[in-house]
Amino acid sequence: MSNYIVRFSLKQRIEHFVTMTTFAALCLTGLPQKFYTTGWAHTFVDLFGGIDNTRWIHRFFGVVLALSTIVHFASGIAAILSRKIGFSMVPTKRDFEDAIQQLRYYLGMTDQHPQYDRFTYKEKFEYWGLVAGNVIMVVTGFMLFFPVKAATLIPGQIIPAAKVAHSNEGLMAFFVITVWHIFNAHLNPDVFPFDASIFTGKVSRERYVHEHPLELARLEGGLPPDAHGHAGHGDAPPGHGGKRVVG
Amino acid sequence: MKRFLLPLLVAFAASPAWAGIPAESEDCLGCHSDPDQTYDLPSGEKLSLYVNQEAFAKSVHGEMLRCTECHTDKTSDHATGELKFKTRREVTRAYYEQCKGCHFANYTKTLDGVHFAVMAKGNDKAALCVDCHGAHDISRPGQPRARISQMCSGCHGKEAAIYARSVHGRLAGSSSDVPVCTDCHRAHDTTDPRDGALAARTPEICGRCHTDEKLMKRYGLSTKVVDTYLADFHGMAASLQQGKKKGPGVRLAAVCTDCHGVHDIEKSDSPNSSVMAANLQKTCAKCHEGASESFPKAWLSHYEPTPEKAPIVWAVQLFYKLMIPFMVGGLVLQIALHLWRVVVNR
Repeated sequence: MSNYIVRFSLKQRIEHFVTMTTFAALCLTGLPQKFYTTGWAHTFVDLFGGIDNTRWIHRFFGVVLALSTIVHFASGIAAILSRKIGFSMVPTKRDFEDAIQQLRYYLGMTDQHPQYDRFTYKEKFEYWGLVAGNVIMVVTGFMLFFPVKAATLIPGQIIPAAKVAHSNEGLMAFFVITVWHIFNAHLNPDVFPFDASIFTGKVSRERYVHEHPLELARLEGGLPPDAHGHAGHGDAPPGHGGKRVVG
Repeated sequence: MKRFLLPLLVAFAASPAWAGIPAESEDCLGCHSDPDQTYDLPSGEKLSLYVNQEAFAKSVHGEMLRCTECHTDKTSDHATGELKFKTRREVTRAYYEQCKGCHFANYTKTLDGVHFAVMAKGNDKAALCVDCHGAHDISRPGQPRARISQMCSGCHGKEAAIYARSVHGRLAGSSSDVPVCTDCHRAHDTTDPRDGALAARTPEICGRCHTDEKLMKRYGLSTKVVDTYLADFHGMAASLQQGKKKGPGVRLAAVCTDCHGVHDIEKSDSPNSSVMAANLQKTCAKCHEGASESFPKAWLSHYEPTPEKAPIVWAVQLFYKLMIPFMVGGLVLQIALHLWRVVVNR
């Protein structure tokens, strides 16, 4: 039995890398435009060679993000149609039950930690948040990039609304990444200081037993500890005394 | 009290007003009171040597300056000498230097001004102190205010004529509410308007009056014009372009004057106004080539987004105002609970 699981394909790792770098570049060139009255905004804008340069850099990475989003959608749809992948990212009733169970566990109302499949509700939430955010950012971004063209297609007032949406959605994405993603990928005691799996593609079997027991069981041809309900969740994998240290 | 009253009484008693001014003490006026007395300069110009004693006495300096305090090189025997000046302009340029002896602060300011800059480049006509203030007949500046614009019109006739027809210029004769040339251009450190630096300052310059509640109320005008401008795309870009100069390949973001005009500013509801709804498409198209009829609607006309004025913008703003704290708060709470359980498990 291999001591690690390949969790992310090369394509997924490249997609993460592209998203990560474009996101960072877009924040660095975008947030100073939102907070243009502050001193640090001027420092950043000067660093990029003035507001016009800053905007061209922002637009360049915006286009890269748009293209990567399109590629992601196209390949995802193609893969689903050719049945190479399933609907493991689609939120289900189970995710809501998991979320409630997880919160009950955090609050000490139960000692049974939810048993996760390939993607936890947290990962699905972040994925769909990113997808929805990308679509909003790309659509409103192009309206702001080509306002004259946009005004021939849509009512003029949509453009200032797009500006408000673009700047606020961007700020929200920044917060979600800096708070939520940085916690889950770096500060979470389970993975501290750095969960490298999205770069290497690999997760240790030991961790997989903790984090995705249902998927692991399916991969290895066994039965999940409990495929249908949460009743058996207390029977955590051996060596954990029925009580998980962290979620 | 008596100490102050006495000189006042003396001043009133001494009539006519110019009797006993310090300039008389030097006997200069003995020669320089002939209106027809001139000196032939090498340039062929005739330099009048006449000093209008009445005008000088009434001037701001009449009661305090003697002739030689400005004409320091003159002695009682200069009448036979040759003048070192070739043109009238040389005379003016030589004596304007005297002003700085007393008015050093304002003189220093002029060194930063556009008039000094073009003079340094060799433009002989660039305005010097005396070109605006006068020489022997200097009176308090800005009395009346409209005189300032008339003064500038001597050289800047075209601009002054356009200004005189504008919403500001039309009122300049009767009201001190409206700006005259120097209110925007400054008096001594007059800014060069050509490199965009003056335009970049217009939100502040125009804002001095257009954010003044009391003043704007008199005319029923909004005081939100600067804030709403700064909150929008142009204001943001202009703020980040501060200090940048116009040049090849550099286009600065629109400021007040790009839409409203400069010397020809009109009321926004006047049919001639460049920001009148019917004219706006053309005004936008100055920068936004091909702007369609609906394009000007992308600009909220200095209104804050409200349910009445811009419902879509208002709704999007409200959505995020609620969504961001809800989202971030929720995630922080979950992280806190997670860590709480980690601690409890230990």
